[in-house]
Amino acid sequence: MYKEINMIKTRKFIPFFLLAFSANALAEEMSGFGQAVNSLSQSVDGFFSDYTGWFVSLIFKSVPIGEASFPLIVGWLLVAALIFTIYFGFVQFKRVGLAINIIKGKYTDPNSKEEGEVSHFQALTTALSGTVGLGNIAGVGVALAIGGPGATFWMILCGLLGMASKFCECTLGVKYRTILPSGVVSGGPMYYLSQGLSEKGLGGLGKILAVGFALMCILATLGAGNMFQANQAHAMLTYAFDVPSEYGVITGIVLASLVFSVIVGGMPSIASVTERVVPWMAALYVGMALIVIVVNIEQVGPAFASIVEGAFTGAGVVGGFIGALIQGLKRATFSNEAGVGSAAIAHSAVKTKEPITEGLVSLLEPFIDTVVICTMTALVIIIAGLNVAPFDGSGLTGVTLTAASFTETAGVFKYLLALAVIMFAFSTMISWSYYGLKAWTYLFGEGKSTEFIFKVIFCLFVVLGATIQFGAVIDFSDAALFAMSIFNIIGLYFLMPIVKKELHSFIARVKSGEIKTYDTK
Amino acid sequence: MNENDNETETVTIDLTRPLLRDGPKFLSHKVVVIDDIAFLRPTITAMLFCVVYIVVGVFLMSLASYQLMVLSKYDFAIFLGGFGIAISTFGISLIQPFMSRVSFDRKTGVFNNHKDRDVKLQNITSIQINNKIIQRKHALNYACYELNLLTEHGRRINILNHNDQQQLLQDAELLGSFLGVEVNDCRREIIL
Repeated sequence: MYKEINMIKTRKFIPFFLLAFSANALAEEMSGFGQAVNSLSQSVDGFFSDYTGWFVSLIFKSVPIGEASFPLIVGWLLVAALIFTIYFGFVQFKRVGLAINIIKGKYTDPNSKEEGEVSHFQALTTALSGTVGLGNIAGVGVALAIGGPGATFWMILCGLLGMASKFCECTLGVKYRTILPSGVVSGGPMYYLSQGLSEKGLGGLGKILAVGFALMCILATLGAGNMFQANQAHAMLTYAFDVPSEYGVITGIVLASLVFSVIVGGMPSIASVTERVVPWMAALYVGMALIVIVVNIEQVGPAFASIVEGAFTGAGVVGGFIGALIQGLKRATFSNEAGVGSAAIAHSAVKTKEPITEGLVSLLEPFIDTVVICTMTALVIIIAGLNVAPFDGSGLTGVTLTAASFTETAGVFKYLLALAVIMFAFSTMISWSYYGLKAWTYLFGEGKSTEFIFKVIFCLFVVLGATIQFGAVIDFSDAALFAMSIFNIIGLYFLMPIVKKELHSFIARVKSGEIKTYDTK
Repeated sequence: MNENDNETETVTIDLTRPLLRDGPKFLSHKVVVIDDIAFLRPTITAMLFCVVYIVVGVFLMSLASYQLMVLSKYDFAIFLGGFGIAISTFGISLIQPFMSRVSFDRKTGVFNNHKDRDVKLQNITSIQINNKIIQRKHALNYACYELNLLTEHGRRINILNHNDQQQLLQDAELLGSFLGVEVNDCRREIIL
């Protein structure tokens, strides 16, 4: 009897012994696994530093200005945005009303709604959700960690000027899009560079620029649109839940599996779910930022004062105000992608007979993205006061700085932010896989096997991005994204008269009544 | 007496219009005919894509259990578990339509798709092939095809919906001869 009781007791304890044993064994396994992943991470990071270092140095070739090194590529984007602003007669300020009226449907016959056409409210929410992403969360964190509060001022300026660049490229994206026999719409810089310049008798140059752009687009897809997203998604998990950074490989595999099923499977439901969830995540993020700002409303004035002061003094920033300017411009471009050409690929698929209307609608995106949302993130960071001089990025940076700043107001925000960051990372990866695939098929042609190869490479890079450490990833991501603008902007200079002609024609037709207006109330 | 009472109301059915707005970018089903039954067999690829979600969801739930029981990390366990439940539920909802068998039974004389009211085979007048372009803001556009049936009472019901044109044409022929009805190719040029 006693023996039986003992047996029963022993049986009861067996699962606990097993659990304890398996936990210990698992812990040992995990420790070994962690070391292996760390070693892999270092090798990959070293590989990126060794083999992409030259590319990063080339793209960010700098000239010394005072104490700072000013990257030529940043000047390239800024000058281009300035030229487009002047050339189009400050279109981003003078034609905002027209853009809002297009979104409201003032020039669309409500009785001739085509099949599959989305409502104007849907169009607006889709555009808004597309603009909010890790650039607004992690990018601003990086900008302020290295550029101080003053970087915000330069981000806002870059956002305002970038509206003209986006207007120009998105108009051309629709104008020169190609509809393939299968019905698939292909558009973007590859097409307007080759076709547009060919019309001007510069076919050779157009082809070179298109191929160069496509190559850089593929690299940027794997960097900014993929590794950076996966990397920051895991960084957020590390911050919010103390997940060891070496377990990024698990985050990567989970994300890659889901991305694989979407981009390889073409599962309609998951794309629909993502399209539905992301606007709510954007609303959640903006809502949290508004709560922080409203709760600390008395600090908003001083925060703006530090932004303006920091912009021109650059106190505590390596390189002074030039250092702040560089960071502001770099992160703003990373966030709103104006002048980069990626938005032109997405906008080219829209249903419209007037390319200029898409250009006008798209110019609102840098405003919402950079001027409004990035500024909100910056205010949250400045109000929290965790980002203190010297601003050399040695403390909290990227998504962790933003998350820590939100958490200063309410602890629960870190969980909500983790949810939003993962959703944004996922949706951005899906979007960029589309841009990358467009560039890939432009170079290698359409075909199931060529497309499949790209998709598999893309998914592998998701795992890689989540696994390796931040330094080499962000350098490579930045370089590839900025490199796209070199080829794109050269083409835009040649093609901007076409956009101007389209704009004048549209305005003239609106004024003459040829384009009818409809009551939008 | 009202004059209109004597007039027959004419309803025009646009056979070129697709029935469903969305559609997958892969071959989801094939038509298989065995004796007096024609049914839709889901492809392995389609099932695998659904299973990915279930596997990932279950994996996340297991990880959540580990976090909860071994490491006592409640917040992360809830976070992972929530994601796991959402993803696996989504996977199950995706796979469910593949599990129900859509069939045309000549013995019972009924078409049953487990969604719409059953249709008597004798009432089916024709089947149509339709095409559409699936457009998304943040993904590739692609062509998709539908195989729909028309009854003599004017009902249109979707049978197949996927993007393998070649297979759909073959299946349309197979089903047309099985049912003894005409197959109308209602594909149209789509201007985007």
